[in-house]
Amino acid sequence: MIRRREILTGGAGALALAGLGLGPARAAPSEVVVGVLYAMSGANAQVGVDARHAIETALDIVNNDHDLDLPNAKGTGLKGLGGAKIRLVFADHQSDPQKGRAEAERLITQDKVSAIVGCYQSAVSSTVSATCERYGVPFVCADSSSPSLHRKGLKFFFRPAAHDEMFSAAMFDFMDAMRNKGEKIDSVALFFEDTIFGVDSSTVQRKLAGERGYKVVSDIKYKTNSPSLTAEVQQIKTANADVLMPSSYTTDAILLTRTMAELGYKPKSIIAQASGFSEKATFDTVGDKLQGLISRASFSLDLAAKRPMIKTVNDMYKARAGRDLNDNTSRQFMALIVLADALDRAGSVEGPKIREALAATNIPGERTIMPWSKVAFGPDGQNVNADPVLLQYVGTSFVTVFPEAVAVSPAKWPMNA
Amino acid sequence: MTSTTLAAVPAASPEAGFAARRRRKLLVAAVVFAAIAALPYGITDVYLQNVLILTLMYAALSQSWNILGGYCGQISLGHALYFGIGAYATSVLFVNYGIVAWGGMLVGGVLSALVALALGWPCFRLAGHYFSIATIVIAEIGLLLVHNWDFVGGAMGIQWPFNPDSWWTLQFARDKVPYVHFALGLFAVVWFVTYLIEDSRWGYWWRAVKDDAQAAESLGVEVFRSKMAAAAVSAFFTAIGGGFYAAYVSYIDPESVMSFRFSLLFALPAVLGGIGTLWGALVGAAILIPLTEISRSYLGGTGSGIDLMLYGVLVMAIALARPEGILSLFRRTRSARNQEATP
Amino acid sequence: MTAQALAQVLASGLLMGLIYALIAVGLSLIFGLMDVVNFAHGEFLMLAMYATFGLVVLTHLDPIVLMPVVVALLFVLGGCAYLGVVRFAMRAKANQGMVQIFATFGLAILLQGAAQYAFGTDYRNVPGSWLGGRTLDAGGVFLPWPQIFGAVVSLAAFGGLHLLMSRTDFGRALEATREDQGAVALVGIDRNRVFALGWGLGAALVGLAGAVLAVFYYIHPQVGASFALIAYVTVALGGFGSVGGALVAGIVVGLVEAFTAVILPPAMKSVGVYALYLAVVFVRPQGLFGRL
Repeated sequence: MIRRREILTGGAGALALAGLGLGPARAAPSEVVVGVLYAMSGANAQVGVDARHAIETALDIVNNDHDLDLPNAKGTGLKGLGGAKIRLVFADHQSDPQKGRAEAERLITQDKVSAIVGCYQSAVSSTVSATCERYGVPFVCADSSSPSLHRKGLKFFFRPAAHDEMFSAAMFDFMDAMRNKGEKIDSVALFFEDTIFGVDSSTVQRKLAGERGYKVVSDIKYKTNSPSLTAEVQQIKTANADVLMPSSYTTDAILLTRTMAELGYKPKSIIAQASGFSEKATFDTVGDKLQGLISRASFSLDLAAKRPMIKTVNDMYKARAGRDLNDNTSRQFMALIVLADALDRAGSVEGPKIREALAATNIPGERTIMPWSKVAFGPDGQNVNADPVLLQYVGTSFVTVFPEAVAVSPAKWPMNA
Repeated sequence: MTSTTLAAVPAASPEAGFAARRRRKLLVAAVVFAAIAALPYGITDVYLQNVLILTLMYAALSQSWNILGGYCGQISLGHALYFGIGAYATSVLFVNYGIVAWGGMLVGGVLSALVALALGWPCFRLAGHYFSIATIVIAEIGLLLVHNWDFVGGAMGIQWPFNPDSWWTLQFARDKVPYVHFALGLFAVVWFVTYLIEDSRWGYWWRAVKDDAQAAESLGVEVFRSKMAAAAVSAFFTAIGGGFYAAYVSYIDPESVMSFRFSLLFALPAVLGGIGTLWGALVGAAILIPLTEISRSYLGGTGSGIDLMLYGVLVMAIALARPEGILSLFRRTRSARNQEATP
Repeated sequence: MTAQALAQVLASGLLMGLIYALIAVGLSLIFGLMDVVNFAHGEFLMLAMYATFGLVVLTHLDPIVLMPVVVALLFVLGGCAYLGVVRFAMRAKANQGMVQIFATFGLAILLQGAAQYAFGTDYRNVPGSWLGGRTLDAGGVFLPWPQIFGAVVSLAAFGGLHLLMSRTDFGRALEATREDQGAVALVGIDRNRVFALGWGLGAALVGLAGAVLAVFYYIHPQVGASFALIAYVTVALGGFGSVGGALVAGIVVGLVEAFTAVILPPAMKSVGVYALYLAVVFVRPQGLFGRL
């Protein structure tokens, strides 16, 4: 209703003002509109569908009264905004940077969103973050992990979760630790798709491997959604590295695992850059072949032993989505929690004020569902305290194996003796 | 009222009548363009302005495709290659060398025309689906090369830096009106070129080639050179459109400018609106683009696929129900294809 | 490269090639019959995979047992696609080629949207098939049984198709219709019926491919797109309308793809196939076995 009133009363003037994030002064808005931008159709649509459930779970927690130790869980709505509730507007970017940009503009100018959450594909987050910057609307980047995103000098960009360099560093820290325990790890095989995600991830891994004395014996970039990966797997098999490090989306993660099994190749160990290797579909399909797989993650369900509210949140999500929270959905959930905390403190629906509040964020790790030490953003909008973890797939679930401070059990190494 | 006076003239002689009809076409175009130019002052919503920009851009690109596909009858499904060359030339020159978009587009356009000539030399020997599939395959090879070429950013793509609003760099942070006018200008130029060609020797040759290449050849039409010229002009303007797209979105990567769906999107409006006509591309784009954009925006958020179904039914319905009269010149029967196959 | 690695590349390429051939042959058949390229071919494949998945979930039978059901379903789908869409496209008096391209292209998008609506966007997988995950170890050269099975089905389908075309009335009617669409009416053949059956047969063949593929491939509304372009190139390489050409071209495509990945960076392995297509048609504009 806010939207209609503004358009009716203000006309072009109000539109221009609203565009600047300076809409007509409202003492106590009854709701805050937040835009959520994901691919809801196309090859990666499942990510968008899951994201919707995760963010709606967070919305439920913020808007309704829940006895959880998360910011804004208790009581209804946002107290700093006079109990105003958050309303979500979902939009579909179809994995296309141009459509992402256009939808972000639509959300900002038509739906008058106070902030945007998204967008999974790094290429889309790139244009969306630039658009948000132009309109002075905060963009909370939930789950794109390309390091280039926070290095553009954007003032309205915030990423509570880790980026690929932090993730890859954790993988190599783990390998160093295993070496110190006397395990022989000399060589790695990089296997990555030809997208921003794959190329960014492999670039960091290649650099770290060089710095820390691991030989890259196989360095394979493949075309995503290929009908067959036989030739690629043949090369990995020949190289037979100590650790295989794949960076793949779900389709290729399934195909890669199948093809390795078909060609009789059991990699000694796999340390995966999450993505496809944290998706339920992959483990439903080829989980039996991935026993002992290690994947980096932002999230670990077994943390619930220490923090019971994680189980409550997971159950709420599971009721909606029919699956457990994973690396992506946990970050999407946290993105809205972090944003709601800032909205509450800002006491305003105006972009610049929300930005100030986001920049001043300081949520202790215990008040999140993540293994993070805290949420606090650097001047570039990156949360440097988003410590990643490594999980190992055992039986039908993941177990935290690294870092040792949060590990539930020691890693089984190598994966296939 | 000028148009009525002009319309009254033709009775005098056939030549005069023809000239008057030509002038009237120009006048109609001027009125249409002026009306579109005024549109963004009435439609101030930036989302709708964005739809307008895309509509005009696809109209211009489709009209460029129409020069080769509609007028000359060579069904290219690989124009994403030229679009990509334009987008990449413009982006690389601006981001790495500081050359403004205008220069980059021109370089991209010339480069594309040259590539089209080089590719046309072997490809124009192919007929029908063999030609179309060859164009798809060449564009796919181009996509794979760009994907694996680090100098142009590879899979990472190219991000344009922030720049102050200016026509010189073609960068406007929020203002959409200049982009509307640029896209309109591009369409107007391509429209005018098509208009000139229609009545030129090239135009007659192309239509002859399209109708019956063998007969045209025997009448002294240089079939091969005709096709080459059409390909070059078509590729040139497609690349300009690519450069504009890059400047407008400020970010490009291989998939977002060179994927196969662009090749289809360039052909669709012209086909739907009327192939080989002056206004078909604009009419087609004006139906297709707003419908796909708006259905995605307002139905796509659910993730249920309803927007896709709507789009599919729309494309099918228009393709099947489209009045055949507009396209009466173009017939692809088995015999025509067979004759065309022999160069 | 060791002899064993070479043998592996050769064998993998050959198996994949035979499956490509099976995917492509229906497309070639339809084209040969009536000069129409079905741009929804990949979506037919996708629906066949979903049909296999759905039937396995419902009946708990092995996908191999259910194959005839999938083939029958796709036969019906193909016939309906002709009667419901393509028939009207063929009536267009002008610009028929374009109308056909975009009518089938629209159908492709519709089917993708419908699959997303009906099955969701998650990646599916046929649960527990008898062949799934088994591999034949032939002296260090590994051959997955589902693909061996696919290759055998492909060869059998080509054999059966050959018999059908040469020995049955239906085959002769097809052949006559493709030779001269006008003349067949004079001898009492209902052109529409032959076309509908031809579309049914073409779709049934891709249904067979889908049922085979479903055993070892993920299933998703977009899965057809991964195979569609390869299928078009295969058909054109073999020569539009040539059934034997599709078989040879499929094998060649499989082998060239496998070997290109050894020579070039794997991300560019399709370049080999595309370059081969161009090289062939630049020398022989009608493809390997096509008729001008």
